[in-house]
Amino acid sequence: MHISEGILSGGVLIAGWAVTCAGVGVGLKRTDPAKIVRTALLASAFFLASLVHVKIGPGSAHLLLIAPMGIILGWAVFPAVLAALMLQALLFGFGGLLVLGVNTMVMAGSALAVYGVFGRAVRERGSLAMAFIAGVSGVMLAAVFAGICLALSDSGFVNAAKILAVAHIPVALIEGAVTAFLVAWLKKAAPEFLS
Amino acid sequence: MLVLCACQAYAHGTGYRHSGLKAVALEFFYSDGEKMSYREARVFSPRDEKFAVQTGRTDEEGRFAFVPDCPGEWRVIVRDEEGHQCTASVGVRDEGLGARGEGLARKDDARPEMLIRAILGVSLLFNIAMIVRVKHNAHK
Repeated sequence: MHISEGILSGGVLIAGWAVTCAGVGVGLKRTDPAKIVRTALLASAFFLASLVHVKIGPGSAHLLLIAPMGIILGWAVFPAVLAALMLQALLFGFGGLLVLGVNTMVMAGSALAVYGVFGRAVRERGSLAMAFIAGVSGVMLAAVFAGICLALSDSGFVNAAKILAVAHIPVALIEGAVTAFLVAWLKKAAPEFLS
Repeated sequence: MLVLCACQAYAHGTGYRHSGLKAVALEFFYSDGEKMSYREARVFSPRDEKFAVQTGRTDEEGRFAFVPDCPGEWRVIVRDEEGHQCTASVGVRDEGLGARGEGLARKDDARPEMLIRAILGVSLLFNIAMIVRVKHNAHK
């Protein structure tokens, strides 16, 4: 779901960087240094997930891990996503450096929204149904945010934004199942991740 | 005055004409015969092997065309998101630029390179985390 370089308007790029800088600032303040390795682990998972593509019909898709990132990391998701996306841009040419602010805002903002809405239900009660809905919501929110950024840049992108949202429905369902599975596994194997 | 205004308006307009140059068209496919449809394509001129002179995507049939403007060895690299990469070397002769291009497509697999980069990325993330942790412990 990386938005490529040269598509968005200057205003959207600046707004993206403003939100990302604010998010990273708060994220760094709230990140517990004792849990920094956990942050690096999830940033690595997010970084690697985009490399594993699964064919869906004529196209292909990859996991985003937005909900697991948000639920486990909370505000620390902003620096984690920024670092992972920056490395993806530098090492693989995914997205770009100018558009990095918007891409971080889209991914980390969605993860943070999931954390705010579903975080408590998943972390404290370990609700698998909520974990599934969180996984679906994370991807759909990111698709909607990316669509809004495209539509705000050029009205000609409105249709592309709609296609982007619809195309991510299968990915959202898969991510919902993966999130529920991950939460179920963490509850048994590493409950401290959900504490 | 009307003529002047019309000329001024035309100067800011757009237009097109048929180019006399002939394009080199290539077809890209995987080893199993599957077409490399809608994949990223970059064209490198013999004058500059580092920066692409043209970028775009293949069509549904895996086809990509470009118009060479100097003789020499032109390269077209098409890659997908999974790390497959195909490099086509096209020799363009001096006489009649773009009139004749002989393509020799070579199938490269960029996956080993991607694996190294992925390991580098993960390593960097953990190194940053360890630096933060060590600095935090030092402050304690």
